[in-house]
Amino acid sequence: MAYQTVVVKESALVRALPWISVIAFFILWEGVVRSGMIPPTMLASPSQVVSAFIDKIGDPNPDGAIMFTHFKTSIEEAFTGYVLALLVGIPLGLAMGWFKIAEGLFRPIFELIRPIPPIAWIPLTVFWFGIGLTGKVFIIWIAGIVPCVINAYVGVRMTNPVLIQMARTYGASDWQIFKQLCIPSSLPMVFGALQLALAYCWTNLVGAELLAADSGLGYLITMGGRVARPDLIVLGMICVGLSGAVIGFIIDRIEKKLLAGIRR
Amino acid sequence: MASSSIANETVDHASERGRFTLYKLITNRYFLYTVSLVGFFALWHWTAVNKIFQNSLATPKEVLDQVIRLTTMNFAGNNLWGHIWGSTQRVLVGFVLASLVATPLGLFMALNKTVNAIVKPLFDLFKPMPPIAWVSLAILWFGIGETSKVFIIIIGTFVPCLLNAYNGVRLVDPDLFDVIRVLGGSRRDEIFNVCLPASFPAIFAGLQISLSAAWTCVLAAELMNSRDGLGFLIKRGMDTHSPALVLSGMLLIAAAAWLSSLAIALLERKCCPWKRSIDNI
Repeated sequence: MAYQTVVVKESALVRALPWISVIAFFILWEGVVRSGMIPPTMLASPSQVVSAFIDKIGDPNPDGAIMFTHFKTSIEEAFTGYVLALLVGIPLGLAMGWFKIAEGLFRPIFELIRPIPPIAWIPLTVFWFGIGLTGKVFIIWIAGIVPCVINAYVGVRMTNPVLIQMARTYGASDWQIFKQLCIPSSLPMVFGALQLALAYCWTNLVGAELLAADSGLGYLITMGGRVARPDLIVLGMICVGLSGAVIGFIIDRIEKKLLAGIRR
Repeated sequence: MASSSIANETVDHASERGRFTLYKLITNRYFLYTVSLVGFFALWHWTAVNKIFQNSLATPKEVLDQVIRLTTMNFAGNNLWGHIWGSTQRVLVGFVLASLVATPLGLFMALNKTVNAIVKPLFDLFKPMPPIAWVSLAILWFGIGETSKVFIIIIGTFVPCLLNAYNGVRLVDPDLFDVIRVLGGSRRDEIFNVCLPASFPAIFAGLQISLSAAWTCVLAAELMNSRDGLGFLIKRGMDTHSPALVLSGMLLIAAAAWLSSLAIALLERKCCPWKRSIDNI
């Protein structure tokens, strides 16, 4: 046999270490808060966070909404902004990658707007749309559209030139090459954008809600800070992190299903 | 001979020279760029003048005037340079501290299984939390001074630095390891002659990402609470309902973020000249 596959079996300790370290982290966290090393006004212990979560399921105090409402608001905003960003960003990026006129017209404006951090738009969106859903969707849209455009653009640009030349030789029109060659071969990059855009959208959702909102997970964090309730702050942070991770996982699954035949 | 490329397909235009036609004009790149920018600013001006957003959009001219006024006038105890320096200082301190810790830690995690087994799960726990979500906790812990702002920047820059250094080493071409082993290299040689140089591009990409994250974080921190900095200008513009001030703050922070990412790109070209990349993106 020319090649030999060596399976290195890791020791039991190395396999157990991740669990040990996570459990140790939580015990330590609980410990420093209980023993009073960190005053309870600054940090809540994991058990307090869990009990705050259970309270918040039915109790709208002190921030004026129950947990379900917070979740619903945040997911609604993030999802609307995300989908709009995909719908506008990906076709725009694809077109910019292949059609010179599209690139010439949109590239300079895109480059002008790209370096502005999305949360810098908050004051303007508050002026323009008030503090309702529209303003937050706008900020999330701005955040999500950048990775969509870039990835779709790069995806088209990375199409194998030999294939393009071959298609030309066989007399394919520009539009046919774009449709049948460039779009399929850019799909892995485009799907990469789905994850990236999600992460951007989710981060900026919190930013948008920190400043101007009346419900949502980011608002829960802000209110927790205002009424000095660290358990609510930590609860909000954990909910944001957890739901972001779950949505990312779902998108990853969908991506794997759809790309089963394309990715090598 | 002029040539351009789309999808790596190089097209030589030498043979296409000749008569000046309308078609050639409207497909000329620089012509299109000009049209695009002129159109953008014209549309902006038109929207502002016609009060599409009531009084909430300033014309480009007003924004420019505002920036010029800021350079000479004292605004909340600082002139424009003071505000820019305030933000830059925070970004630099947070960015340097975070990258000095995160990059070696990422490399170390990738090279040592035990460290990886201990740190990675904790890191995975914190990774999905947006840095901006730490703002409230930071204020509770460190008050509203400099420390809390730098803390948020550190949180925001730590993740991309560490992740890219880690992935940079993990994704090194295994053939390179085979080569250095065949040549009789020790573990030390493997690390210093293969892992580090091969992960340089990934590390720089991480620095690039974390620097732009740092600008977002400093903005978030300053919007929440501050007395100087570019975020303060934007916040003040929001409170006094002055779109010109908000827009000039936005433009300045975009310029600062753009310049700093340019600096990293130059540094990268100096440090790893072998790296190939897709040009003009």
